Amino acid sequence: MSSAPASLIAAPSPPPPAPVRRSESSASWRLTDRIGLGFAWLLGLLFCAIAVAIVGYFLVEGLRYLRPNLLVTNPAASVSESQTGGFLDPLLGTVIIAAMAMAIALPTGIAIAVWLSEFGRPAALARVAESGIEMLAGTPSVVLALFGTLLFEAPALGFLSQTNHGIVLGQSFFAAAAMLSLVALPMVVATVREGLQAIPSHVREASYAVGKTKIATTRRVLLPAARPSVITGAMLGVGRVIGDTAIVLLLLGGTLTFSSATSTPLLGTLRGTGDTLTGYIYYNAPTGDGNQPSKAYAAAFVLMLIVLTLNVGVDFAVRRSRAGGWN
Amino acid sequence: MDDDILLEEEQGWSQDQRAEYMLGALVCVVVALLLAMLIFVFHEAWPSFAHNGFAWFGAGGSVDSQIQAIFTSGDLKEAAVYTFHAWPLIWSTILTTGAAVVIAFVSSLFVAVFIVEFAPVRLRRVLEPVVRLLASVPSVIYGLVGVLVLVPFIGNHLVTQHEKASVTPIIQLSGSSVLAAVLILTVMIAPIMIAVFAEGLRAVPRGWLEGSLALGVNRWRTFWKVAVRTARPVLVAGTVLATARALGEAVMLSMVSGGVGFAPNPADGLIFLFEPSRPLAATIISNTEQLSSPPMKHTLYAIAAVLLFSAAMLSLIGWAAKQPMKRYGVVA
Amino acid sequence: MKKGMTLRSRTRTFVGLLAAIPALALPAAASATTLFGSGSSAEQPILNVLFRGYSQAHHNIRFNFLPDGGNAGVKDVQAGRREFAVNTRPPLPSDSGTTQFKLFLDGLCVAVNPANSLSDLSIAQAKDIFTGVDTSWSQVGGSNLTSTIDPVGRNSSAGSYTFFQSAVLGGKTQSSNVHPVTSDGLVATAVHGDPNAIGYVGLAHSGKGSGIKPVALNGVACDTANIKNETYPLFRFIWGVVPTSHPSLQVENFIEWVRTSKTAGQIISRAGAVPAFNR
Repeated sequence: MSSAPASLIAAPSPPPPAPVRRSESSASWRLTDRIGLGFAWLLGLLFCAIAVAIVGYFLVEGLRYLRPNLLVTNPAASVSESQTGGFLDPLLGTVIIAAMAMAIALPTGIAIAVWLSEFGRPAALARVAESGIEMLAGTPSVVLALFGTLLFEAPALGFLSQTNHGIVLGQSFFAAAAMLSLVALPMVVATVREGLQAIPSHVREASYAVGKTKIATTRRVLLPAARPSVITGAMLGVGRVIGDTAIVLLLLGGTLTFSSATSTPLLGTLRGTGDTLTGYIYYNAPTGDGNQPSKAYAAAFVLMLIVLTLNVGVDFAVRRSRAGGWN
Repeated sequence: MDDDILLEEEQGWSQDQRAEYMLGALVCVVVALLLAMLIFVFHEAWPSFAHNGFAWFGAGGSVDSQIQAIFTSGDLKEAAVYTFHAWPLIWSTILTTGAAVVIAFVSSLFVAVFIVEFAPVRLRRVLEPVVRLLASVPSVIYGLVGVLVLVPFIGNHLVTQHEKASVTPIIQLSGSSVLAAVLILTVMIAPIMIAVFAEGLRAVPRGWLEGSLALGVNRWRTFWKVAVRTARPVLVAGTVLATARALGEAVMLSMVSGGVGFAPNPADGLIFLFEPSRPLAATIISNTEQLSSPPMKHTLYAIAAVLLFSAAMLSLIGWAAKQPMKRYGVVA
Repeated sequence: MKKGMTLRSRTRTFVGLLAAIPALALPAAASATTLFGSGSSAEQPILNVLFRGYSQAHHNIRFNFLPDGGNAGVKDVQAGRREFAVNTRPPLPSDSGTTQFKLFLDGLCVAVNPANSLSDLSIAQAKDIFTGVDTSWSQVGGSNLTSTIDPVGRNSSAGSYTFFQSAVLGGKTQSSNVHPVTSDGLVATAVHGDPNAIGYVGLAHSGKGSGIKPVALNGVACDTANIKNETYPLFRFIWGVVPTSHPSLQVENFIEWVRTSKTAGQIISRAGAVPAFNR
């Protein structure tokens, strides 16, 4: 109501902007806290350094020995190293066995995870299943390999490997992949289950509210939302499967190239014996009898590359899935 | 949508019930398979336990000569010998696994805290893929790094002539030792722990941390007292996972741990770190060529049974450790 | 519907691609016979070359060899699981039901690091070293070193270990201060990397480029000529094992080829072993 001229009552000027501090400076902390932070930095950088050292060692050694024709030539037995060919068959063997193992482990794992997280009755079975999967996670792959040799020599499972004069031999891609899927299964179950449980219940309730059944909700709403977890679980599983040596040594037969059981194109190879990159590396490095360390380094380099690509690809896929989240 | 409700009324079993029974059947099949594995392994292992009783786990005599006696008796078709006292192998497993898990736990916790909270964004973007990469490196590569780089380094540069002379001719301080095994095993299981810990720490409700910060607690303390404490079930889960991996590591340890059935003696002082040994899983893998001798087969399955049992015990311990944490309403 | 490919179609494409991969693996010729063998893993490299050489001459024969160890190989033949086995130890009474053929010769060399001036060793001295009686290089004549001896050997499931045990140690167990490694390659690596080391390896791993120095045993050097005329103490035969009743004719032809043919002899000598009966 004042009729004072506007020039006498000036509008209050805005306060000065608050000082923008990006993060709290540790200078104000107690000594123990600062030591703790320093320790965390130290360990973080040390960890990076170790990783770089290990990966770098194989990168350097591998680059020294890797030639592109190694990747596309089949291994051949020869007395001179220049004629022993490459490692195409072990490379394909790795891919095949990883694909087969995940083809078994991924659907089974997702199904078990869905059952455990969405259904889970009777409670006793749920608890037994949980403990069983945890026990499987802790089982050494050597024990699984031993069990596999028992299992696949049974006459009833002769169709999964080769038979010689009526006696089942028991080494084949099927046998190795079956045991490797058991290695990957706990990873898939744990990650998918966690992903499903992280979805808040209001999402499920909303879906039920519009009339969807539980299973339809799971298929159309929950699993797509949990896709990053599924992918992470699958990747962890593939990583473990690719890196396993014990099961491959005991159940794959260790032949240099694919040795098909019959002449049927796909099944014959899978029922036959072969080798994987890890078996090839173990055999040709000083640890085995092959005595071709340069080829072992080249194969190790390729294996690391595969693992790296897997990681990068999964990172990419997870980030793309996360971008379309519901949060 | 209407169709779903109509279907439910018409058919005896709804879609959900069908799904539940099918999934439940699949779970039953998997559980049955695991049970079958347990039964098979223990059935094959029984003769070795029956002949030795509880002395199987004790000490007595040289494990290596016992193994050779067991193998030869079966190979030459003589009267089967089953005498086996596995204590040096068990002690080696406890030692390498325990030390690796403890060291990895402490370092992984700090690195996980660092990654989630305190690392600058660029460093975080480097560290996360690095952790995931290391977690998927095959164990044969760790074994090669160990045998070709670490073991010669320890043998030629860390062990002194005096130390070697003091223990010969009982054992040889060759570089393949407790130290090499623990170091590589730590580097092998740390990424798993870091990945699990980081996920768990990230899942802590942001509001809780902000509340603590608002009260004036500094970032470091807030994170430790609130986030790490909340994530304790995840810490337990990660440790159990990593311990299981460490227990089961066979190929890598057979290359770097020394290969002799010797029980390292902590009372030896510094030399203790350099003493060779051989854990249980590595024993199985170095003797797979002797499976053709029946007593040896039973003994190896007995070792496998012990490993299976410890895996089961591990998950039990993990469950038991998480129980007291349930009080605080934390999802365990 | 969603834009882009649905999950189902994406899965189908992926599965289709994967199924195509084993097709890349060349399937075998339809009329090929596979001969199944098993046995010594240490001989696997040379056996693979012999298999290849034989298959090149006889196009319808393929081989499948499982390296599960010499002893397991013999048991496989006795049980009828495999048609032949390859073994590095001489026949034992427990090998009943099998017929065994000498295929070719091999030798176990005792080698030291090039920094060690030792060049000759007696069997008794080797026994003392590997049973822990001699612990320092100053106790071994002919060596310029005075440090502790670091013996490297093989693990107890290895054929080389059993052979060394019976030929040098007189049946006694290797001392616990011998570092047991799981392959000849690791013995060579260990001896190459440690100036104080001494170890026993097959002939193939102690050649010129291996970085280790084989010593003479009882004055006889470890080389092809001495092994062939059996003057070197640690020579051994590599044995082929077939079942006594109903042996496979094709396997017997293969064994005969390995023993006597010129091609096989060339392969054997280039691989680092010693042909025994080949032309």
